[in-house]
Amino acid sequence: MIKIKIKCFSQVRYALGKDEIALELDEGTTSDDLEKMIREKALGKLENVTLGIAINKKYVLDDTKLNDGDEIAFIPPVQGG
Amino acid sequence: MIITPKELQSWIKQGKNFTVFDVRPKKEIKKNPLSKLDSIAGELEEYKEIKGIVVLVCQIGLVTESMIIQNELFDTYSLLGGVEAWTNFIKEKNDLSRWSRQTILDEIGFEGQKKIMNSNVTIIGMGGLGCPAACSLVASGLGALKIIDGDEIEVSNLHRQHLFRERDIGKKKVLSAKKRLESLSEHVSISAKDIYLNEENGYDLIKNSDIIIDASDNIATRFIIDKLSKKKNIPLVYGALYKFEGYVSIFNVNGSKGYSELFPGTAISSETCNDAGILGMMPSIIGNMQALETIKLIVGIQPNLVGKLMLYNGLLNTTQIIEL
Repeated sequence: MIKIKIKCFSQVRYALGKDEIALELDEGTTSDDLEKMIREKALGKLENVTLGIAINKKYVLDDTKLNDGDEIAFIPPVQGG
Repeated sequence: MIITPKELQSWIKQGKNFTVFDVRPKKEIKKNPLSKLDSIAGELEEYKEIKGIVVLVCQIGLVTESMIIQNELFDTYSLLGGVEAWTNFIKEKNDLSRWSRQTILDEIGFEGQKKIMNSNVTIIGMGGLGCPAACSLVASGLGALKIIDGDEIEVSNLHRQHLFRERDIGKKKVLSAKKRLESLSEHVSISAKDIYLNEENGYDLIKNSDIIIDASDNIATRFIIDKLSKKKNIPLVYGALYKFEGYVSIFNVNGSKGYSELFPGTAISSETCNDAGILGMMPSIIGNMQALETIKLIVGIQPNLVGKLMLYNGLLNTTQIIEL
């Protein structure tokens, strides 16, 4: 098992009702797997929202294997101006 | 009281009777002499014996301002920007003393101020982000500003778009903004484009810009702006809002990442400011951060937000920097 921390921004924060979430995940879990889990937890509230992902404050575009102690940020595009 | 170098020169030309009193230490006067201005030097006690109007001079204008306040001096002026502003004025016939509070910063100086005054910035969107960004840039001495927006002012804009007044409701945003911004500074040239930017008109609208500021309010326009910025190789200062949160970045500088690399292919977000709500201070904060990053780009100040995304949360008082 690995322990990770999720930082929630904008719509993710409101959809999950939390600023941070600590999770224990199976070894080999990837960023795409985690995104699917987060979308399920949001009960459809993130269905129409694109999510950018940063691991340890570094933006990632490809599916990436998560490691113990990682901090993951989900960053939706926001449009207000 | 304050007098600018330009006003002081006009006193000289008018033959007005006054005495210039240099309060700097003799060593400093020797190092940086006051050119083309007759003056006497000495301590405050000696100054008190002078009759008539006196102009006090120090190196950057701050010592003399506080001397006047602390000693409740009458008929006495402090030369704004001090010897440094005067010397620059004599040398270049350009009075920069108005910006003396920022030119005394080592990171800005007269050279930085001149870069600001020679820069041409375009702001797309004259709403919550565009209003504070425009206001701060014009106040900082920006040379040329283009503002683009086809929208009209509504009563619900007034809590966050502080360039507009109740009497402006129903008027075109860019026209009211131009009027207000011109009253803030005679030094700026403002071009107002009462039109929405799109793929067809975009190239013409942004040409000759040194920097573009994305202050738009929808993702489709943000993608168009990013494309234009890349195509024309013009740095893009990005800002966006959601409730108590704001994003700021600088895109497309010497191949650095842009909006389309952040959200490749497409980006979908469910809510706008109108849907989600926004507290008026948030666009003021984020719009001013965009103006700050713009000034840093113009002057060449590091570090800046090139290749980084800053996420600010006004509710939690947190800031995160994500490396792109």
